[in-house]
Amino acid sequence: MFDDPLLLARVQFALTAGVHYLFVALTLGLAPFILFGQLGATLRRDEARMRAVRFWGGLYVVNYAMGVLSGLVMELQLALNWSGLSDMFGYAFGAPLAVETMGAFFVESTFLGLWIFGWDRMGRWAHLACFAVVTATAYLSAYWVLVANGFLRYPVGLRMEDGVAHVADPAALMANPSTLLAFGHIGFSALLVGSSVVIAVSAYHLARRHDPDRMFGRGIRWGTAVFSLALFPTVTAGGAQFALYDRTPPASGLTYGPAEIAAIEAGGRAPGVFDAVGDTLMMGSWGLMSLIAPVLLGVWLLRRLDRWRGVLWPLVVLPFLPFGASVGGWLLRETQRQPWAVEDLLTTADAMTDMTPAMAAVSFTLFTLAFAVLATATYVLLVRYARLGPEGGPLAPARTGGSDSGRAAANPPVHTF
Amino acid sequence: MEIIAVVLLAGLVAGYLVLAGCDIGLGMLMPWVARTRAERRRAVSAMAPYFLGSEVWLLGAVGVAMGLLPELKAAVITGMWPVFVALLAGWLFRDAGLWMRGRMRGRAGRAVCDAGIVGGSWTLALSWGLAVGGLLGGGAVLTPFALGCALTAAALFALRGAAFGAERLVPAAGTEGAGGRGPRPALAAESGTAGVPAAGEVTAPSTPTRHSTEAGGTGPAHAADPGGAADTADTALAADTAARATRPLARAALVAGVLAAGASLLPGGAAPDRPLAAAAAALMLLGLLAATSGLSGPQLSRHTSAAALASVPVVVAAAVNLPVAPVPDGSALLVGSALAPAVPFMVLGQVWLYRMVRRPAPAPGYFA
Ligand code: HDD
Ligand code: HEM
Ligand code: HEM
Repeated sequence: MFDDPLLLARVQFALTAGVHYLFVALTLGLAPFILFGQLGATLRRDEARMRAVRFWGGLYVVNYAMGVLSGLVMELQLALNWSGLSDMFGYAFGAPLAVETMGAFFVESTFLGLWIFGWDRMGRWAHLACFAVVTATAYLSAYWVLVANGFLRYPVGLRMEDGVAHVADPAALMANPSTLLAFGHIGFSALLVGSSVVIAVSAYHLARRHDPDRMFGRGIRWGTAVFSLALFPTVTAGGAQFALYDRTPPASGLTYGPAEIAAIEAGGRAPGVFDAVGDTLMMGSWGLMSLIAPVLLGVWLLRRLDRWRGVLWPLVVLPFLPFGASVGGWLLRETQRQPWAVEDLLTTADAMTDMTPAMAAVSFTLFTLAFAVLATATYVLLVRYARLGPEGGPLAPARTGGSDSGRAAANPPVHTF
Repeated sequence: MEIIAVVLLAGLVAGYLVLAGCDIGLGMLMPWVARTRAERRRAVSAMAPYFLGSEVWLLGAVGVAMGLLPELKAAVITGMWPVFVALLAGWLFRDAGLWMRGRMRGRAGRAVCDAGIVGGSWTLALSWGLAVGGLLGGGAVLTPFALGCALTAAALFALRGAAFGAERLVPAAGTEGAGGRGPRPALAAESGTAGVPAAGEVTAPSTPTRHSTEAGGTGPAHAADPGGAADTADTALAADTAARATRPLARAALVAGVLAAGASLLPGGAAPDRPLAAAAAALMLLGLLAATSGLSGPQLSRHTSAAALASVPVVVAAAVNLPVAPVPDGSALLVGSALAPAVPFMVLGQVWLYRMVRRPAPAPGYFA
């Protein structure tokens, strides 16, 4: 394997993208819980609810860090390893990614910084507004990334000039059916991820009869409500994506004729086992989740949702289902496209930078190892803080009393030369 | 049309260098200026808002290059693949260290994070220098010229970090140690009231400093006493060390810059397409450095180091004909219309963030 740069680059991309998506899905899914939790706390001027926001917010930030680190590697990996893609499709594929980084991510990260550093320094409505911006730009970010990814899957709105693709119709690119359907499916499936994490963490603490400020009782109810509501939209949007499988993308034929396309596809389809695994993961876990949701709702009706240990303990592993389904979904989507990097227009082999095996091996080893270590560390931290509860989380308020009491009072002078 | 994209790109890179110079430079200097646990914590909490707010500029630049100037991106990034792999690795380890440090409970964990921060900062600074050298030298990065550029860049970043540290490493009033344990900011207080200190004052402060305590063997021994009082002492020594470093660093940058300029004349040196413009721009850079290393104290070095770093993209743009093609209408329309509504948020967020963190946080935050 180490002497085939193409295989290395593909495996590297798949691993990093998969890891990136695990963290991003939680970001997308958790953000609305924090936003509405903070809205409730702000409206009621409720310190207890604000402590809950700090707890979930701490998990959010730990998770966001890994989303950023892995996103960086993704972005630069596209630039370093997949230059064929930007040589031919730089304008069409690169433009939405440019909007993502410049517009969405720039704003998202800046306002998240304001939110983290602003806890004790800005008015409560301004602080809430910062997180509203963070939530909105997280979804905007996902949309623009999917414009780029939808373009690979279903190229539209193109014109070829001297072997370089130009955007002929920006509106068509933005309204690409592959993008919109995926965005819908991903939005709701991310809510499944977020709500199942909220449910699992709440269940863990409730099972141990640990419910400070009654925050985990609220958590499991809100989680269950969102979880149940997101199930059906997820399958509707997901099923709608099958319709695109038999459609030939509008831009097909710009680089290869139908006979050439058929020949390339005959030689290079990805092994069907990936499809099967992806399909099974998604539909199997959706099936299980659609059995679990009515149980939860029933227990809720009996008013035992925060008490029955027999129900609570198994819920701790609930997140494995939507996370598994998410990886499976991407496995399906990306391998379905093979042997194309851009459907019908550019093969994966041609999309890769000319690399020697040594270059590919260095990049693969370095980044895959770093990724494994970082992802494991982040995962360990997430579990640790989730189990620790609101006392001592990364955003927990400073303990009062003792030597710290003078600290908050003094507004320290700014030192300037 | 491409001129707008080029100006946007240069602006983003310049903004990145100026803002990130603070946190990269301070990260490079951590082993020297922040020796106690409290000092390291303070250094990291000074860097944290800056790295969060500054690396988005670089990603924005990568985005512009990918979406609007793909030929430039291909020529630059693909042409200098190893440099950018190193840069990415440094970036990754540094960010990982910064994000994780506050989460570590043990000494060893923090030490690993510190190693990531320091090593990553050095890697970033050196690879930026190599990249600039490679750009000016027509792609070759293992030439005396490119290495000279790398040293210049390292010194420039360190200078910016030292100037930043001199301002931000002063402990907030009311935190541990600031009141009693150590001397209040020595150099800091002097120059703050007396305006620009003369050279003599800068090198011979009247209050005890780290150098004098170490030389004399009295006073708090810093690293030698793990877990002891000295390890948690939180004094303004770090700020003073940083302030004192600005002059030698500016001189080092000047020397390295002159060496690089000399090496550019060697065969295999710089291959600028417009030598006159290149010479003028390089002179500007060196002049700024000379100004800092002259009579003024740390006070001016914040501005001169910022100007020197910001002039780097100008030097490159003036010297080399980079491959830029006209941006096609479709992409320009797409990016322009999608970006326009974001611009007010970008400006508001950045200005707000940097204004807010001018005041040290009242309580320990996420990062430290
Ligand atoms: C909680 C996660 C989750 C769950 C329960 C499901 N999916 Fe899914 N699915 C995803 C998470 C996901 C995903 C990770 O979000 C993907 C990857 C790419 C995308 O657009 O969404 C995806 C992709 C994806 C695709 C590939 C689209 C393409 O190749 O362009 C199809 C056809 C479906 N899904 C269909 C379904 C069906 C019929 C489901 C229910 C029975 C289902 N998904 C449940
Ligand atoms: C919007 C984001 C994404 C884009 C633009 C994208 C693009 C690409 C590209 C360029 C490749 C290499 C060429 C190829 O093998 O087709 C690839 C491969 C791959 N990606 Fe993605 N990808 C994205 C998201 C993801 C995510 C989130 C996953 C998560 C699991 C993923 C899974 C894979 C896999 C499994 C492969 C290897 C396919 C194979 O070699 O058969 N991708 N993708
Ligand atoms: C080719 C594939 C992808 C690339 C190049 C990419 C790029 C990036 C980058 C660069 C960042 C972090 C920015 C930074 O620190 O500077 C990021 C974060 C993010 N990405 Fe991706 N990404 C890809 C796939 C995806 C997918 C498939 C989604 C979701 C559907 C997504 C959604 C996000 C979100 C919401 C963030 C914000 C950080 C976080 O929430 O954790 N990305 N991405």
